[in-house]
Amino acid sequence: MPIDAANPVPPKFARPAGPDQVPPHVPRDLVFSTGLTNGPEFLAGPHDFMANLHKTKPPIYYDVGDFANMWHFIKHEDALFALRHPEYFSNEGNSPFPRDPDDYFYFIPPEIDPPHHRKYRNIVDPLFSPAGVKKLEGKIRQLANELIDGIADKGECEFTTAFARPLPVLIFLELVGLPKENLDLFVTWADDLMHSENQEVMGRTLKKITGYLTSVIADKKANPDEGVFSVIANAQVEGKPLAFKEILGFCTFLFIGGLDTVYATLNNVWLWLAEHPERRHEIGDRINADSDKIVEELLRRYSVTFSGREVAQDIEIRGVQLRKGDRITCILPACNYDPEVFPNPLEVDFDRPRKTILAFTVGVHSCMGGHLARLEIKIALQEWLRRIPDFELKPGTRIEYRPGGVIGPDRVPLVWRA
Amino acid sequence: MPIVNYMEANGNRHSIDVPMGENVMRGALYNGVEGIVGECGGGLSCATCHVYVDDAWTERVGGPSSEAEEQLLENASSHVLPSSRLGCQVLVTGELDGLVVHLPESQF
Repeated sequence: MPIDAANPVPPKFARPAGPDQVPPHVPRDLVFSTGLTNGPEFLAGPHDFMANLHKTKPPIYYDVGDFANMWHFIKHEDALFALRHPEYFSNEGNSPFPRDPDDYFYFIPPEIDPPHHRKYRNIVDPLFSPAGVKKLEGKIRQLANELIDGIADKGECEFTTAFARPLPVLIFLELVGLPKENLDLFVTWADDLMHSENQEVMGRTLKKITGYLTSVIADKKANPDEGVFSVIANAQVEGKPLAFKEILGFCTFLFIGGLDTVYATLNNVWLWLAEHPERRHEIGDRINADSDKIVEELLRRYSVTFSGREVAQDIEIRGVQLRKGDRITCILPACNYDPEVFPNPLEVDFDRPRKTILAFTVGVHSCMGGHLARLEIKIALQEWLRRIPDFELKPGTRIEYRPGGVIGPDRVPLVWRA
Repeated sequence: MPIVNYMEANGNRHSIDVPMGENVMRGALYNGVEGIVGECGGGLSCATCHVYVDDAWTERVGGPSSEAEEQLLENASSHVLPSSRLGCQVLVTGELDGLVVHLPESQF
């Protein structure tokens, strides 16, 4: 259904939730309540939980939850199909973040189907391409080292707050053209938006963010610079500037997109590094020559989020009837653990044959931040392992995971010999 | 600016100015050429920018530039030939002015 991003209206989709709202076409024997993202079994060890789905669940099943019911896809092949066929699986109404229905906006480009989404991607793709993000390499390295300067002599840190949170936020501020002084404010907003698990808090925080970005957009139009927000604010598509709602939806989405995902990935990886000294040394030895293999495999092993779609027309997959209007989620980490594609899926093996991983999803909405994320992770590994090659979890630590759509440990306290 | 000629499987042809140093995948994407998807944006991660280098150009273009490109090509959905390359790994130079690439019927 074509939508007008300049004049957005909230989509009207049925959103069944709970065991009493299972559509009649769903076979009883495919209905489960897995507790993905918030149940106790999941929170005890989310990545193991997701790998285990291949042993305990059919390849496609219908998950019932308090907030939403939806089909789960766990097979690599099925996710590739769904994410690459927008004619069957649409992006409309894709984002769960609550917006004011009287002052609505679409998240751009993720809520826009082809062919229209391409005009938005063309504005930013050059900036986020491998060549584009390479320009940030020096800055990223400098920031990583400044953060390490603050902790190296102390012999301990809480990794998530000392490194994983500030690094991507600072780089994001640099990339979009916002002052570094905003770090603490943005960190608060990111936490409130992504980890409050409270619709009201999320809605309020989103309003604060869009209020702030509204003034930023006006400023960038008056005073253009080379940052991504200015490029979007001043972009011309088919000879016309973007509508205000398009610019706002684009900038707000970028704000959300880059902050929590890299944060969670770094936290997952550093937890693993803390517990595997021999692999730390292996990475230290190989990170310059084999950085892309190492980063790609770590992204496969510790991908952090999901990719949802709305069924746009009836389709049958593996004998399962999906009906128009059903929601599906591709459990990307589970797809990355598909034993038919990645044998010994939980093993970190940097020399696996190169295949498509789903950390950044696939299809036309494949994450534009993927190259930046890879670069940040590569540099973080290079600089941290160079300066703090040996470290471990603080004795007595109990690792906990918070509920939510981006998966990683809540706190990673580390100790080392300073 | 060098020209790259994209020949779609359905017979459509496009002659596109592609800046020096840009890759064949982006030359298509930025100019609305159908038949190349490039979903991972050039990260050697998706194999959806598969092209067949025309026989007259294979020697100048050469084969896959890395082990990763070779391995990923194995995942390409269309038949892989000796002339197969991933478009994101083919950089346009003066030497490749006039390059002809044939696009598969589909990238997945």
